[in-house]
Amino acid sequence: MPLLSLNNCTIQFGGLVAVSELILDVNANDLIGLIGPNGAGKTTVFNMITGVYQPTSGEIFFDKRNLVGKKPHQISHIGIARTFQNIRLFPSLTVYETVQVALKKNISYGFFHAITQFDAMHRQENRIKETIFEILDFFGLTRFKDEMATSLPYGFQRRVEIVRALATKPRLLLLDEPAAGMNPSEKKELMALISQVREHYKCAILLIEHDMKVVMGICERIAVLDYGIKIAEGSPHEVQCNPHVIEAYLGEQV
Amino acid sequence: MKCHLPKLYLLLSLILCGIILIFEKNISPYYYQVIVYIGINIILASSLNIINGFAGQFSLGHAGFMAAGAYTSAVITSSMHISPGSLASYPAFLFSLICAGIIASLFGLMVGIPSLRLKGDYLAITTLGFGEIIRVIIQNLDFLGAARGFTGIAKLSDFFWVFGIISILIFLVYNLINSTYGKGFLAVRDDEIAASAVGIDVTRYKVIAFVFGAFFAGIAGGLYAHFVTYINPSQFGFLRSFEIVVMVVVGGMGNIIGVIISAAILTILPEALRSIAQYRMVIYALLLVIIMLLREGEFLGGRFNIKRLWKKSPAET
Repeated sequence: MPLLSLNNCTIQFGGLVAVSELILDVNANDLIGLIGPNGAGKTTVFNMITGVYQPTSGEIFFDKRNLVGKKPHQISHIGIARTFQNIRLFPSLTVYETVQVALKKNISYGFFHAITQFDAMHRQENRIKETIFEILDFFGLTRFKDEMATSLPYGFQRRVEIVRALATKPRLLLLDEPAAGMNPSEKKELMALISQVREHYKCAILLIEHDMKVVMGICERIAVLDYGIKIAEGSPHEVQCNPHVIEAYLGEQV
Repeated sequence: MKCHLPKLYLLLSLILCGIILIFEKNISPYYYQVIVYIGINIILASSLNIINGFAGQFSLGHAGFMAAGAYTSAVITSSMHISPGSLASYPAFLFSLICAGIIASLFGLMVGIPSLRLKGDYLAITTLGFGEIIRVIIQNLDFLGAARGFTGIAKLSDFFWVFGIISILIFLVYNLINSTYGKGFLAVRDDEIAASAVGIDVTRYKVIAFVFGAFFAGIAGGLYAHFVTYINPSQFGFLRSFEIVVMVVVGGMGNIIGVIISAAILTILPEALRSIAQYRMVIYALLLVIIMLLREGEFLGGRFNIKRLWKKSPAET
């Protein structure tokens, strides 16, 4: 039984079929790459899984629960976290607060406890504080904790975004082009980070990436999308040799 | 240690309110009135700051919530025939203020629900319209005095009530915004998609902001009604809403201390300019423009952290 399975998912925007009849399974502990030329519908797949868009037809099952019709915050609570292609950090929050917001589902007190500061709240807040420091420590961000998240160097912003996603304790992590705009040394750090995350958080990862060195280097399985249709799936080597994939990227042979 | 600071603050400020009470008899009626107006405007601006500043929902209907509260509490105390100074007046007034808050927050709920579908300028216009609707409805209800206004309200508001409620409001807002729960408001303001991706129910947060903000706007309305003793619908027009929005913007959206200071300054300013009669509003408007040009980022240079007054922000260094 796969952790996440997309059954014949189609999404249409007016006359445009962005993703067509997509079948994709992600097992627990998988690290799967999702690649394809620009406009192939990769980010749309992410948006469908996380509830930003609703599929026109088809089903999405995560841990035996149907995700279709659920709102993004509900899907986050079920255990799927994501990052965004163009970094979406909170401009007015520090690194510490960014992680804190992501830990919101760990608190059980409500609005009235928050405004009146009941004791139950203090216990929970102290626990949250410990958790934040643990997380920041693990990812080497403690020295930046009081910096505004958006004022950090690019590579660190990506890292904060991944940390924010992981703070929600997901069972599936969706990374949308994590290496975009990074220099080679940052990419190396990113690859190390991803394998570190897998080891420590034991979550499945689905990764969109254009950088073939990163994708081929860390993914065990790769799915290729072109014009919303899955044209290939398999190990990195299989995909590299697949004539459909070569055609999609380089064009037909003359 | 940090956790008990707000409670200590609440205690101290309530004691301070008691001390002020002793001296209030010695203050000339004119200054007394200005100071009470400052207090009421601080409550209005701070409560709007929850909606506009923290949750980022630009609302222009705050005077509508204030009107709802003012009329609710006025009806309650008038029907009880409360005489000022009697022992029964304190619990009765408290009761009427709470009812004022509840009725206003019901209106807040009604505005909050359309706000889930609207953003930015569209939301601003909707809330503006909503505030006007409340005013026009009151204008046509005969038992509220219609356009003639509601007369004979007991003069129950004084320093104790106004500043006591400010203390409580600031205590609640400060706690809220420093809790993990409250940080969600800032996340919703900054980026709704990212906020929902980390499990924050954006809808719920927006509605809570409207309900909470409207509650205190209603209380401010109640205090106002029981200070001026006569209210009519034209006191709660959209100009009133704009005045409150200006206080929040000048003070810095989401800046608790900045908004308090700007509410005080912008209440005193037109009074201080009274001596130049006809040029008063010209100078007032000009000063507003100058303030907006001169301020850097936010009025006090910080969101709510007074430390940032002397600590350079990372952007400057």
